[in-house]
Amino acid sequence: MTGFLKLLFRNRLAAMGAVVLTAILILVLITPVLPLQNPDATATADRFKRPFAEGYLLGTDHLGRDLTSRLLHGTRLSLAVGVAAALIAATIGSAIGIIAGYFGGRTDNIIMRGVDMLMAFPYILLALAIVAALGPGLMNALIAVAAVNVPFFARNIRGITVGLAGREFIDAARLAGMGHTRIILTELLPNVAPVIIIAMSTTVGWMILETAGLSFLGLGSQPPQADLGSMLGEARSALISHPHTSIVPGIMIFLIVMSINLLGDGVRDALDPRLRSGALSRPRATTLVERAGDIPAATDDLLAIQNLETRFHVGKRIYRAVGGVSLAVKPGECLGVIGESGSGKSVTALSVMGLVASPPGVITGGAVRFQGEDLIGAPYESLRRKRGDRVAYIFQDPLSTLHPLYRVGEQLAEAIRSHRKLGKADGRARAVQLLKDVRIPNAESRVDDYPHEMSGGMRQRVGIAMALANEPDVIIADEPTTALDVTVQAQILSLLDDLRRERGLAIIFITHDFGVVAQLCDRVAVMYAGRIVEEGPTQAVLDAPAHPYSRRLIACVLELGAGGVNWPLSPVCRRRWTICRRDVPLRRGATRRGKAAGPGTFRWRARTRVPCAASIPRRPSRCPRSGSRTSPRPFR
Amino acid sequence: MGGYIVKRLISAIPVLLGITIIVFLIMSLIPGDPATAILGSYATPENVAKINRDLGLDKPLVQRYFIWLSNMLTGDFGRSYSLNRPVIDEVLERFNATLILAGTAFVLCSVLGILAGVVSAARQYGFADKAITFVVLIGISVPSFFLGMMMILLFAVNLRWLPVSGMFAIYGGGDLADLIRHLIMPSLALAAVATGVIARLSRSAMLEVLRQDYIRTARAKGVHERRVIMGHALRAAMVSIIPVLGIQAGFVLSGAVYIEIVFQWPGVGRMLVDAILTRDLLLVQGGVVFVAACYVMFNIAVDVAQGLLDPRIQT
Repeated sequence: MTGFLKLLFRNRLAAMGAVVLTAILILVLITPVLPLQNPDATATADRFKRPFAEGYLLGTDHLGRDLTSRLLHGTRLSLAVGVAAALIAATIGSAIGIIAGYFGGRTDNIIMRGVDMLMAFPYILLALAIVAALGPGLMNALIAVAAVNVPFFARNIRGITVGLAGREFIDAARLAGMGHTRIILTELLPNVAPVIIIAMSTTVGWMILETAGLSFLGLGSQPPQADLGSMLGEARSALISHPHTSIVPGIMIFLIVMSINLLGDGVRDALDPRLRSGALSRPRATTLVERAGDIPAATDDLLAIQNLETRFHVGKRIYRAVGGVSLAVKPGECLGVIGESGSGKSVTALSVMGLVASPPGVITGGAVRFQGEDLIGAPYESLRRKRGDRVAYIFQDPLSTLHPLYRVGEQLAEAIRSHRKLGKADGRARAVQLLKDVRIPNAESRVDDYPHEMSGGMRQRVGIAMALANEPDVIIADEPTTALDVTVQAQILSLLDDLRRERGLAIIFITHDFGVVAQLCDRVAVMYAGRIVEEGPTQAVLDAPAHPYSRRLIACVLELGAGGVNWPLSPVCRRRWTICRRDVPLRRGATRRGKAAGPGTFRWRARTRVPCAASIPRRPSRCPRSGSRTSPRPFR
Repeated sequence: MGGYIVKRLISAIPVLLGITIIVFLIMSLIPGDPATAILGSYATPENVAKINRDLGLDKPLVQRYFIWLSNMLTGDFGRSYSLNRPVIDEVLERFNATLILAGTAFVLCSVLGILAGVVSAARQYGFADKAITFVVLIGISVPSFFLGMMMILLFAVNLRWLPVSGMFAIYGGGDLADLIRHLIMPSLALAAVATGVIARLSRSAMLEVLRQDYIRTARAKGVHERRVIMGHALRAAMVSIIPVLGIQAGFVLSGAVYIEIVFQWPGVGRMLVDAILTRDLLLVQGGVVFVAACYVMFNIAVDVAQGLLDPRIQT
């Protein structure tokens, strides 16, 4: 609770709202003891005195009544009526909601139908009808406003109750022989009460405004008694000649409603944990770059990632996702990047075109060179021109990466249209051709499908077709087959391989599956904890992996076949590998088998066994298929 | 799509019936003898008997309901006592004016609200975002009737830019330009609160959508940021904005009652308030049922729009 209050008052606006509201409440509570004039005492000689006139702080109204006094008494009345309406609405609405939710079935059905009917009215119509039937008057306005808000409470509380009614403690109470009334009062109500109070605090402002509105229309409080609404209503006829009589009560209503709104927003924000962590920040168009240190010199590679560092700044904490990664591809080459989830391979890939969500992502060092030109920190437009046109992406999970509300044909055509002019008919024809290229049957009809109408494998093909749309030089494929079953996966892989050979494009293929790498890639880089730990020709790394981590990946995956086994290693093991803290990746030719250059040398016992026994987590278990020892939690 | 519309229309029938039942029950709540309540000081025994006969109050409740309902279905909403003309004629005439006012305000609050929300989300924590958030906060806290009065003071009385009130100028008005001049202040005052609510919602809906994977895909394709925001993100955000537009339309319609009073707009809201004050209950009854029914139909249109936008809903 104190934590909640602290959070609430750290929100300056909410604190301001609380201060204003408290001030008004105190003023209203001490109104009877303040030395004020009688709010209803008329003095025709003193009509329409301006504010700050002698004896009248806020002036007088059309009957010469003291506005200060009328304002405070009116505020008192308005607040009392609003709170009373809220209490009545909350009590009746919650009772209805609890009964509907607790008994369920037909009771629930009938009650909620009625509630739906009531909610089909614009609220004022219902309120007007009730006032029309009962006759104008403050009490009747109160009843009308309360009645109009009953459905809101009924619906909210019913939802909560339905959730609670199925829980064990209710069943236990029933088995203990408690009656319905007792269960509702002693078991349900205490659990529902906080929700009722929150719902009340968010609606009381509305109810004050609604009663003031009815009084303004002349349907609420009747003269000489005045609440804020009727003060404003009476002053309306003198609006042009003596505006202060309108402004005074109007500003009071405004202050009350605004302070309640501010406080309500504060409460909502303090209760919503997502807002606390700042997770609702929108990602910028490109990743933030705050580069320190030297920028590496250009190379003659097609795409070169040089000493790239990407971090996540979450609050005051900094996570180093990518810590100095260097990779390069030449035209027609396929480079595999392999590693467990969380090893930084996706972040590396997304950093290339500035697609890491930012906040929280920040690129803090290194360079990414496409044909020698540094992309890190490049102007947005130059980066945008290359995105999808020269360097294209294929993402994992095409259900979430394709836009759900556009037809796949439109999405394909748009990929081209973003870079060159394309007519409507041509766009469609190109889209059909692209779908044919990735071997989607019935491309002519499929082009009008929405993503949700396709199977997972087809959507993935659409993702590939989209990447091919502009015949890019480089494709970065981020686990494009992980979500698919094995046969579809094999088809997609051979498709990518064909395309690479036909079009001579370079592929960076990110995966956690050595089987896939073996099938497709010329070279492979093994990534671990944000670094490249080993890199070399695929066959050489497969035959004789130098790093224990690579060996573990190979040991399990090859024996399991091409199945998509996730490989999270426990943090315990991460700490024990001294080699993983090395700055320089193991490179073929640079090191001898089994020996790393420089510090952090390691040895393993025998080739056929799992390497580096010391690194095995404390509670080793058996890999279900291979029988080899593996991490106790194969899936994360 | 056609099937979907028909399905929604059929599902509206019980709601419409429910509305008539609720209004009928409320109207039968009138304490004491309704005829006396209606007649007030004119309640001579002959008059009371006549009213009772005219309104069918001598019959049982259920029978009265069905007579009333079947009359309404043939377009007979009864006769207004105070105006001495058929209720339906008066309601239709007044509803026309309300439709112009509320319709304009609804378009204004939808366009301005969504625009403000989009800009706010696109420039999150920037100057525009802070400025919009501040204005929105004021907007949702000012009662529309007070805002209307202040606008009259400023723009009509002090600056003399716009007419104080009414729908047309008394002399020489009547054309479209005149209507628009009279429409500016009331529609803005009416739209203010809803604009604020829609802006807030659009902002959070946009922020939610902008974090989705398909936005990253659009950016990876090289789609221009302007199109990412106004196309991809907004379209997806509209899925959660549109239902709120439907709810806000109800609030705009409700607020129209106050605004019509403040600006002397000859709409159905002012008619209802006058009818309540003169105890013209048939007029109230007919007006409420008619407007509520229109609102139900409007919400069906909102549902259909939602279906058109999101292909996943129809099937």
